[in-house]
Amino acid sequence: MASAQPAIRVNGVSHQFGEPGEARYVQALLDTSLDVTRGELLCLIGPSGCGKSTLLGIMGGLFAPTTGAVAVAGKPVRGPMPRDLAFVFQESALFPWNTVRENVMLGMTFQGVAKAERGARARRALEAVGLIDFAEHYPGQLSGGMRQRAALARALSLETDILLMDEPFGALDEQTRMVLGEDLSVLLSRSNKTIVFVTHSLGEAVFLADRVAVFSARPGTIKQIIVVDEPHPRKPSFMTAPKFHALRDQLYGLLHDEIRKAMSETTQPRRRYGQTGPAETDGERV
Amino acid sequence: MVTTGELRRLMRHPGFARLGVVILLVVAWEISARFFLDRDFISPPSTVLTSFGELFGTPGVPSALWLTLYEIAIGFALSAIIGAAIGLAVGLNRLAHQSFMPIILLLYGLPQITILPIFVLVFGIGAASKIAFGVSHGMFPIMIAVAAGVQKIEPVYFDSARSMGASRWHLLRYVIFPHMIPSFFTGLRLGMSGVLLGVLLAELYVSTAGIGYFTSIFTQNFDATKLIGLVSVLAAIAIALNEVVRRVELRYARWRD
Repeated sequence: MASAQPAIRVNGVSHQFGEPGEARYVQALLDTSLDVTRGELLCLIGPSGCGKSTLLGIMGGLFAPTTGAVAVAGKPVRGPMPRDLAFVFQESALFPWNTVRENVMLGMTFQGVAKAERGARARRALEAVGLIDFAEHYPGQLSGGMRQRAALARALSLETDILLMDEPFGALDEQTRMVLGEDLSVLLSRSNKTIVFVTHSLGEAVFLADRVAVFSARPGTIKQIIVVDEPHPRKPSFMTAPKFHALRDQLYGLLHDEIRKAMSETTQPRRRYGQTGPAETDGERV
Repeated sequence: MVTTGELRRLMRHPGFARLGVVILLVVAWEISARFFLDRDFISPPSTVLTSFGELFGTPGVPSALWLTLYEIAIGFALSAIIGAAIGLAVGLNRLAHQSFMPIILLLYGLPQITILPIFVLVFGIGAASKIAFGVSHGMFPIMIAVAAGVQKIEPVYFDSARSMGASRWHLLRYVIFPHMIPSFFTGLRLGMSGVLLGVLLAELYVSTAGIGYFTSIFTQNFDATKLIGLVSVLAAIAIALNEVVRRVELRYARWRD
């Protein structure tokens, strides 16, 4: 039955960086299984270094898990799947040497969209995020919030069924973050996309998610899944509702001990993603 | 009439002081050459300026200029290609970087003038040895700048490009190339002066044509006027080439404003 097939199926995924005994060895994920339902927004939340971003990278085929398997729309993931899913990263992953429009167009070039189609699709995506007037600006000329909207436009223009968002609002201030969260909820209610959203913020998770997957401290695995039963688009008033606070408190209760556990550890994996990188990378936040 | 306000604005322009220093130096040179120094060794700028016609009338000088320009152009093109290719290969591969970068730095640090005779033995006394020696000076700064430039690419650019389906060619064309352009141009400008140095050193060492050949001829004949005239032409060429590279660089650096 096609409709019952999950958008993403994660089956017994474990991942380690390096080998036991090496300085950089980290067991990031341990035997994690998860089904992402079509059309839902699933938040992954957990303490630093619990492997939630690693899991997102594995879902998107940026690198292969040490053990276990992921399937997207029933197809096993063996590498990037640009036709099925698009990423939005925390830091602006826009190319600084291209304008906003060029950035959006370039994504479609990579994906293989016909040349004639790119212009119209770029315009539609930029209009959807309210950036059409800034199309000819370079990312360096935009605020952090606008850059993330541009990154979202680039992902939207790829017209994938699935969006993977890795702390997309993580570097923004609280107010910008709330407004962008509302916009995302509106966008989601119209588009019927499946979204997996990694966040550190309890409030953001409850406000946006249909379900929240709570991770344990490293080696990360899913501790519990909480359902937020509230229709999209969500209004700011939801944030003051008793239900919102009850869920937020429940999340905090689940996370509290894990955060303490994670804080007592010091090592962080060197990189989150891929092997196709520059020769040397600086130590990194996870 | 120039108002005092306009004059004050003019004086605050950085070009004002710069021009002042240049004029001062030329005047000092003129005075010392005219009254204090041996005319066999140095000529005043006024004499140099008025005898440019004579310099270009000297048999062999115009073709020598063209020959040297040709050697520099070929040497620069080869340096850019070799430097960029090796710089990319070494910069993008961690193992290659660790293995070969020390060798590159060592070769770059070596005073290559000591092996100039070998270049002449291998490439002859014609243009080939000048070009080769120019390349051996020009390619290392380009190599090192490119390697350093591609190393600092944020991993997230690769991840995001790959997630959108970028091929290896796409990564090279749309991520690595644009990212390395600023350091590539820094390398090009250093490489340009390296090529100039290498070509001229080789010409001075042994040759039958080119600017270097004539500088040694003029020196041996105590013809300071023509010697300084030729050096001025050379300086003008160097400045012009540097300016060309800088202009091209500006066109690619719009996003940095």
